Amino acid sequence: MADVSKLAPGQKVLMQGNEAIARGALEAGVSLAAAYPGNPSSEILQTLADSARSAGIYVEWSTNEKVALESAAAASYAGLRGMASMKQNGVNVAQDFICNLTISGTKGGLVLVTCDDPSGVSSTNEQDARFIARVACLPLLEPATPAECLKLTKLAFELSEQIGNLVVLRGLARLSHTRAGVTPGPLPEAKPRPHWDPNERWFTIPVVPRHQVMLDKLAQAGELIAAAGVNYYDGPVRPELLVIASGSSRLYADEARRLVGAGGRVGILHMGATWPLDQELILEHLARADKILFAEEVDPHIESGVKSIYAQHVRELGLKDFYGQETGHKPPIGELSPSRVAAAMADILGLPWQETDPAYLAKAKAAQALVAPRQVGFCPGCPHRASYWSMKQVLSADGREGIVSGDIGCYTMGVLPTGYERVNAVHCMGSGPGIASGLGKLRSQGFEQPVISVVGDSTFFHAALPALVNARWNNSDYVLVVLDNSATAMTGFQPHPGTGSTAMGQAGTAVDVEQICAGLGLPYTVLDPYDLEATQEALYDALQIGGGLRVLIFRRTCALVQNKRGGHPWRMSVDPQLCRGEDCGCDRFCTRVFRCPGLVFDQATGKTVLDEVVCVGCGVCAQICPAGAIKARPKEATA
Amino acid sequence: MVPPAASPAPQPTGLERLLAEVINPGLCVACGACLGLCPHLIFLDGQVAAPDACGLTSGRCYGFCPVAQRDVSRESQGPIGPVLGAWQGRATSKDLQGRVQYGGVVSELLALALDQSMVREAVVTAAGLRGTPQGIRVTERTGVLGAAGSVYAGGGALSSLNQALSEDSNHPLAVVGLPCQVQAVQAMKAHPQQPQAARRIHLVIGLFCTMNLPWRGLRKLLARHGVQAPLSRADFPPPPAGIFQAWSNGSYHELPLDQVRALSYPGCAGCPDLTSDGADLSVGACEGKPGWNTILARTHAGAGLLELAAGKGLLELEPAQPASMEHLTQAASDKRKRATAWSEERRHG
Ligand SMILES: Cc1cc2nc3c(=O)[nH]c(=O)nc-3n(C[C@H](O)[C@H](O)[C@H](O)COP(=O)(O)OP(=O)(O)OC[C@H]3O[C@@H](n4cnc5c(N)ncnc54)[C@H](O)[C@@H]3O)c2cc1C
Ligand code: SF4
Ligand code: SF4
Ligand code: SF4
Ligand code: SF4
Repeated sequence: MADVSKLAPGQKVLMQGNEAIARGALEAGVSLAAAYPGNPSSEILQTLADSARSAGIYVEWSTNEKVALESAAAASYAGLRGMASMKQNGVNVAQDFICNLTISGTKGGLVLVTCDDPSGVSSTNEQDARFIARVACLPLLEPATPAECLKLTKLAFELSEQIGNLVVLRGLARLSHTRAGVTPGPLPEAKPRPHWDPNERWFTIPVVPRHQVMLDKLAQAGELIAAAGVNYYDGPVRPELLVIASGSSRLYADEARRLVGAGGRVGILHMGATWPLDQELILEHLARADKILFAEEVDPHIESGVKSIYAQHVRELGLKDFYGQETGHKPPIGELSPSRVAAAMADILGLPWQETDPAYLAKAKAAQALVAPRQVGFCPGCPHRASYWSMKQVLSADGREGIVSGDIGCYTMGVLPTGYERVNAVHCMGSGPGIASGLGKLRSQGFEQPVISVVGDSTFFHAALPALVNARWNNSDYVLVVLDNSATAMTGFQPHPGTGSTAMGQAGTAVDVEQICAGLGLPYTVLDPYDLEATQEALYDALQIGGGLRVLIFRRTCALVQNKRGGHPWRMSVDPQLCRGEDCGCDRFCTRVFRCPGLVFDQATGKTVLDEVVCVGCGVCAQICPAGAIKARPKEATA
Repeated sequence: MVPPAASPAPQPTGLERLLAEVINPGLCVACGACLGLCPHLIFLDGQVAAPDACGLTSGRCYGFCPVAQRDVSRESQGPIGPVLGAWQGRATSKDLQGRVQYGGVVSELLALALDQSMVREAVVTAAGLRGTPQGIRVTERTGVLGAAGSVYAGGGALSSLNQALSEDSNHPLAVVGLPCQVQAVQAMKAHPQQPQAARRIHLVIGLFCTMNLPWRGLRKLLARHGVQAPLSRADFPPPPAGIFQAWSNGSYHELPLDQVRALSYPGCAGCPDLTSDGADLSVGACEGKPGWNTILARTHAGAGLLELAAGKGLLELEPAQPASMEHLTQAASDKRKRATAWSEERRHG
């Protein structure tokens, strides 16, 4: 990412939402920023990391989101400003800390950024992380544009310092990666020196009076937010329909109003801060409209809040019609879009609405037929393909209906055909070994199926360790396979404890998976998943042993990382004389079953051919061809 | 109106059917006839598995499988099949002693066939490092002797035969197998998609067999009795001994016969053949004569090889005792009856 500390104040530039949040943090004088990578939030920290040296701040990839927020809180207690960014799932990881932090309070401005992923485009869920604001009584800001990202980030730090509590800024996948014009402001001149006054103590007891303090802070935040003018109305004085919206949905509502041609009839209440809700402003606008539509993603956060305000004031306001999740005018699942909001508006106002011109739809359908169907899959040469291949072969040969407990990373795709649908369960970071640990304790009650837990190297450090200690302690019987590709590949190759490098590019201390296993007293073997025979033999043996937790480390660098480091050793070719094609004796085993995209079945000749552009030369497919038709020769030494 | 009856779709004869009829119901006896043909069927630790579907509806795996192709109603020539000559005998060479199962006739005949270049390669079964039986390909006497002795577990050795047949060479082959394996070899030789089998398989030596054991089950049972795999030798001594004998690491163990028998492949129950009636030569134990074999010469090739061995003084041969032939015939007939009853019960039950 770019060094955003170098941007000239006052000069408009194109910026991603995530970059704008990073710039906002710099302008607010953040001193410590920490995160665990996760789409769609990753670029925030990467941008800060790439700006860290010139800005003179500390930026780190932490082992997980909870640790990231705790590190940022440390800055706050030392009188500096701190920020932790994460995807929606990360808020759950950090939640325990958040729910205590909100009672103990903060000193220097402390901001938590959650980038939610409606529709779960790059996530295992589409959770609406705004729940944390209600649960922990925290102010919540929701920008709609990159420019607002910058502005509200700065506001979040101010607010946090004024009330002495954490403030949540919520981004969305669309906003994180949208580019729009942003005008940066000045960077702070100087920052205070970190110091923790030993007379200042931060804890949660006595709980009840401190709970009251927490509520008072929230009330104070409400006043400050009202004064900040981040919520505003745009439309006729007495609209026929009032839309109350936040985040990207504000833009959708604006566009929908134009699409259905109801400009003069619809007003939009833009909510830049959605917790606490600005009651006065909401009452004022409820009084002026009889129909109210909610536009927000994903949960009915504003909807339920506004309805409960209305319930207290129903006598003075009279009867109103509310349209939202409960009436089906806002879907309870998935992303919103301008057309979804337009359909709701048209329905309420009795206007005609056709989502898309039928002629255009017909053309789009025709075009769609021309696009080759594509499956999400592992990259050519991906070590995970080889790893799942071996697991599939061995579990089938083992014949006891073995279970694979999955986890979070590229290798989550083990649930898909590219991973031979070999994974039986995936939830959150670290839940794979936890589930395996429980299964491995059902032996005495007759559970005989072997259990494998797969975790990536980054996940291993993030959340697998407590589950491993648990399994070790309680003597759970399963095989842990660490898919060590020396990268956090899913989210963009961020460093992690095992790689030894850090966010700011300095050398850290590499944390060794083997040493951790040895320290836990776990037997482990390191294998190269590209070597199918050795891997399968070791895995089979590990499954037979039983008795306790044992570890296999499948170590092979991510194919994409390897491509950048000089590539793979083999030049591949397929000998058409030897290829058995569709005959009995093969039946397109490589392209139909193994399915590396580097191999293509040529219908015309009935033989497999190598796609030299796609193949990276890992050499694995040569081991699965029954005819020895796939040849691997060492690449010529480049002069 | 009654619609015209559609002609029935041809029954698939590929992996899918093999799985449905043989492997999934647990009837596979690990002969290996379906292995080594293609990558779909794998053999690990004594067990056949098919991790992925094959897209073909017809293929050799199903056509070769002796369990799938078993036809108990087919009457062979009497309970023990065609016989040109019945003998009892043993090898004379000292280097076989202590290594062969009984009289060493199988090993000696095989070694001779290789020596004489009647065949250039033979497929036999031997225990691997950890005791798992497996097919191996040998080309000379030392290799043959390395595989001497009976491993009482399915080793999938025909996989090695398929491998040899898939290679681009023409030399003649021999194979030693159990009755199911001998039946599979006959199916290979008759299969239109495997023309090289009839051309290249020149010698089939069959063993007598009443049942075989799955390796994984046997290993577990041995472990329960404190016996470590691999075994250096094992035997079922004749009744009324009621035991299974196992030698491991220089020590001797006895396991109760009923526990061992309970392990046997369910698929063996439907096998009608005791004496490998489709072989060139069939060899088994010799009743009342420990250290000797009963030998049935079934084809002229088989009889010729036997004669040559005797002529060279490699084998000591006597005509088989009528009483022991009678018992053998009775045992073979009983096995056929049991198989017929079992098949009937499966069909109706
Ligand atoms: C599972 C099994 C069951 C048997 N049941 C009987 C029986 O009920 N009655 C009877 O009279 N004889 C039976 N035999 C045959 C007997 O054990 C001897 O193999 C036979 O008498 C030949 O003796 P030999 O001294 O000539 O053998 P050797 O010269 O020692 O040669 C033995 C040959 O058997 C082959 N062999 C070893 N294990 C296997 C195996 N698992 N599958 C296929 N081939 C193998 C070896 O490759 C070797 O070539 C059985 C053999 C096996 C393997
Ligand atoms: S696996 Fe080998 S023989 Fe089969 S189609 Fe691919 S290249 Fe050809
Ligand atoms: S060598 Fe084979 S498996 Fe590896 S990338 Fe090339 S085609 Fe794919
Ligand atoms: S390729 Fe042939 S032998 Fe292999 S599973 Fe398919 S039909 Fe059977
Ligand atoms: S009995 Fe033989 S051919 Fe049939 S499935 Fe088993 S190993 Fe394959």
